[in-house]
Amino acid sequence: MGSVRIKRANPLTILLGTSLVVFIVYFLFVPSSSSASRPAPPSPFHKTSTGVRASPPPVVRYDMNSVTVTKDPEQNKEKILILTPMARFYQGYWDNLLQLNYPHELITLGFILPKNKEGNAATAALQAEVAKTQKGPIDSRFKEVIILRQDFEPPLTSQDESERHKLNNQKERRAAMSKARNSLIFTTLGPMTSWVLWLDADIVETPPTLIQDLASHDQPVIVPNCFQRYTNSETNQDEERPYDFNSWQDSQSARDLAAKMGPDDILLEGYAEMPTYRALMAYMVEENKGMHHEVPLDGVGGTALMVKADVHRDGAMFPPFSFYHLMETEGFCKMARRLTWTCTGLPNYKVYHYNE
Amino acid sequence: MIPRHHGGGYSNGYPKGNTFDMSPHRFEPRSSPPSLRRRRQLMTRVGIGLVVVLFLVFIWPGVSFAPLVGFGLLATSDNTQLDTVRYYDLSNVQGTARGWEREERILLCVPLRDAQSHLPMFFSHLRNFTYPHHLIDLAFLVSDSKDNTLGLLLQNLEQIQNDEEPTMHYGEIEIFEKDFGQKVNQDVESRHGFAAQASRRKLMAQARNWLLSAALRPYHSWVYWRDVDVETAPFTILEDLMRHNKDIIVPNVWRPLPDWLGGEQPYDLNSWQESETALQLADTLDEDAVIVEGYAEYATWRPHLAYLRDPYGDPDMEMEIDGVGGVSILAKARVFRAGVHFPAFSFEKHAETEGFGKMARRMGYSVVGLPHYTIWHLYEPSLDDIKHMEQMDRDRAAKEKEEKEKAEKAKAMKETFDDPGRQWEQDKADMQNIASEQKKKKKAKIDSQGGKKAGTKFGNQAGGAQEQQVKKAAQDSAEKKLAENLVENVEADKAPVEADEEPVEVGEEPVEVGEEPVEQKPVKKAAKADDEVKLVA
Repeated sequence: MGSVRIKRANPLTILLGTSLVVFIVYFLFVPSSSSASRPAPPSPFHKTSTGVRASPPPVVRYDMNSVTVTKDPEQNKEKILILTPMARFYQGYWDNLLQLNYPHELITLGFILPKNKEGNAATAALQAEVAKTQKGPIDSRFKEVIILRQDFEPPLTSQDESERHKLNNQKERRAAMSKARNSLIFTTLGPMTSWVLWLDADIVETPPTLIQDLASHDQPVIVPNCFQRYTNSETNQDEERPYDFNSWQDSQSARDLAAKMGPDDILLEGYAEMPTYRALMAYMVEENKGMHHEVPLDGVGGTALMVKADVHRDGAMFPPFSFYHLMETEGFCKMARRLTWTCTGLPNYKVYHYNE
Repeated sequence: MIPRHHGGGYSNGYPKGNTFDMSPHRFEPRSSPPSLRRRRQLMTRVGIGLVVVLFLVFIWPGVSFAPLVGFGLLATSDNTQLDTVRYYDLSNVQGTARGWEREERILLCVPLRDAQSHLPMFFSHLRNFTYPHHLIDLAFLVSDSKDNTLGLLLQNLEQIQNDEEPTMHYGEIEIFEKDFGQKVNQDVESRHGFAAQASRRKLMAQARNWLLSAALRPYHSWVYWRDVDVETAPFTILEDLMRHNKDIIVPNVWRPLPDWLGGEQPYDLNSWQESETALQLADTLDEDAVIVEGYAEYATWRPHLAYLRDPYGDPDMEMEIDGVGGVSILAKARVFRAGVHFPAFSFEKHAETEGFGKMARRMGYSVVGLPHYTIWHLYEPSLDDIKHMEQMDRDRAAKEKEEKEKAEKAKAMKETFDDPGRQWEQDKADMQNIASEQKKKKKAKIDSQGGKKAGTKFGNQAGGAQEQQVKKAAQDSAEKKLAENLVENVEADKAPVEADEEPVEVGEEPVEVGEEPVEQKPVKKAAKADDEVKLVA
């Protein structure tokens, strides 16, 4: 009987079996050796698959007294952190980022994306672009890219322009936005960073010298004017219109309004129900005064915002609650001012928002 | 494969010929058509090739095609393989009640200024933590230090990281040096004086914020703030606080005191519950004013965590609080990520840790104190205390001196009046002798019987037993000293015959002592002694 079985066994079966065994052995043994060649996980003390911890990392000393924040950051090799809360990925944003001519080896990028379907899509698109850039020519590679996923649900499922700007949705939306911004800044701000540039994911056009230009004013908080390019349907011509109304100088009527409000109510700009009569930077454009004309501000917008890292280190953050009836970037300006810093606007220096 | 319909089939679908002409008992070798043979040969070649390839892969793993086999599933997307790109999901670092099991990382923040003298104590605490050390990242901010804080810190860190025991090693350690140019002194008096509080608290807040913003990373689940001058704390404090699973949690902080100050005292008065009085007070104050707790200037009538301590209370009892003290704070990292920090300005009339608690409450986080879970802050005497202690030292020295002088005086006196005294003693003794002889003669017959009785009684027992018995007798009369006297006497004269004489002498001696009116006790003693004599008699 035995001989019969041998004869009937297919050599192919034996071969396949052998190869399968080899494959399984390979599958079982290779992981441990190949994982060593994989990049080190972000957290320094993750157990290796063998369960043995590496020797402890060395003690690192940072002399934060030596960190400079000057008018000429490029000359002084000052490190910049560019932070972007992102809900949707715009190719225009990434292309614009790449054309910034500040040395990329001094730039760290930080992103935070919500954990929903839209966020997943944006993350995938972003990661693809990041990978492309970081594998590309050395000059265009950034020092580091940190991608974070939010640990809370965004309050609105829709990012539609109309839905987003509804008055009663604003508070929740801005609270979530504030938390996202705070999570981003406080986990990515390193000890040697000099400047922080907040750049929204829908800013698609800035001068390539944005960082140098804003830093040259040597202001703790400085904000350019955010406009939007569009095609006028009547004249069928390309025109531009102001977009960000969160940069303003305070007014008496706004203060009066605030005085009547409850502690948790907030003042918002650009809503007819709430006439604040604040002087908006969006309407302060005076071409004859040149690009570098400065105005003092009491509230700032976050579409593009350059901040000395020390302002954030002192604790200035984006309040997710009503702080002097202000939230997010406007509240940030108020908090910075409470910490004896000042806010400045550049009405004639324009950056452009994506037009949906 | 039998074709479903072949030409020769009947219309009913059965094949032609003998359908059942088949013998199951006869062996019929299978015929292999050439096509099948060819296919088999091909397969054999492919199989051999595969084996060779796999063998090569097995010998040189990780070459170009390694990820193609098996690990396509596990291999993460391209960008994680880039050194410069980091991806973190913050929902993985929320912080849970049993963080040590989930390998949650803690950032331990320690602000330091002129803290050289406290460092050895602090490092002894570090060694004792039971939370897995490799999950704890240390961050120190050394600011405006004039002593050797930094040097000592480095030395201690080196020591602990090179410890033979691998479980001693901590995770990432970062030291930040930043001088804020602070003019406020760090000594106890200027630190706790009322006038300096507001600006001092704001500067402290600034230091804390700088430390946190530089050290917090996306992989931290918890942040623990600890002062270096904690003297005693449970080793399990991290787990103990974490177990409560609160956003911010603080233990009660007391400090030991010298006995003359009462032995112990509540130390950290910054953990409190808000009161109506304080809210009203806050409304009356200037925008930049800072309410500081524990000073008579601001009577807030707030319930303080510190004063609610019961040494026998349940250490797990929780209490909602609004302001927190900074000696030992465990907070979830997400609190800091959301933007809660130590206000270096007047936030709702509070700054630093108290403002931190206020801000956290404002953002809806839970802030909890444990009234009966106590850690002990180091006792550093304040200037007043030091003055008081100096005074006490002086007093003691003066007293000692006085006593010494007194003793010397007495000695000198004794020496000076030694001879007359002795003379007097001698005279006294002589007189006594005469008196006693007279008494003896008188009493000889009367005493002899009682004396013998006592004598035989003593004689029957050993020395120790005698002592005991006499002692007992003495206790009965409630005068120990006398008892000692008696015992001495008994010891001195073991002979029962002489013993009967002793009580007489005792009885007589006090009479003479009693002549000195200043001393009170001996008089009493005399009276008692007389009783004793009677008793013995």
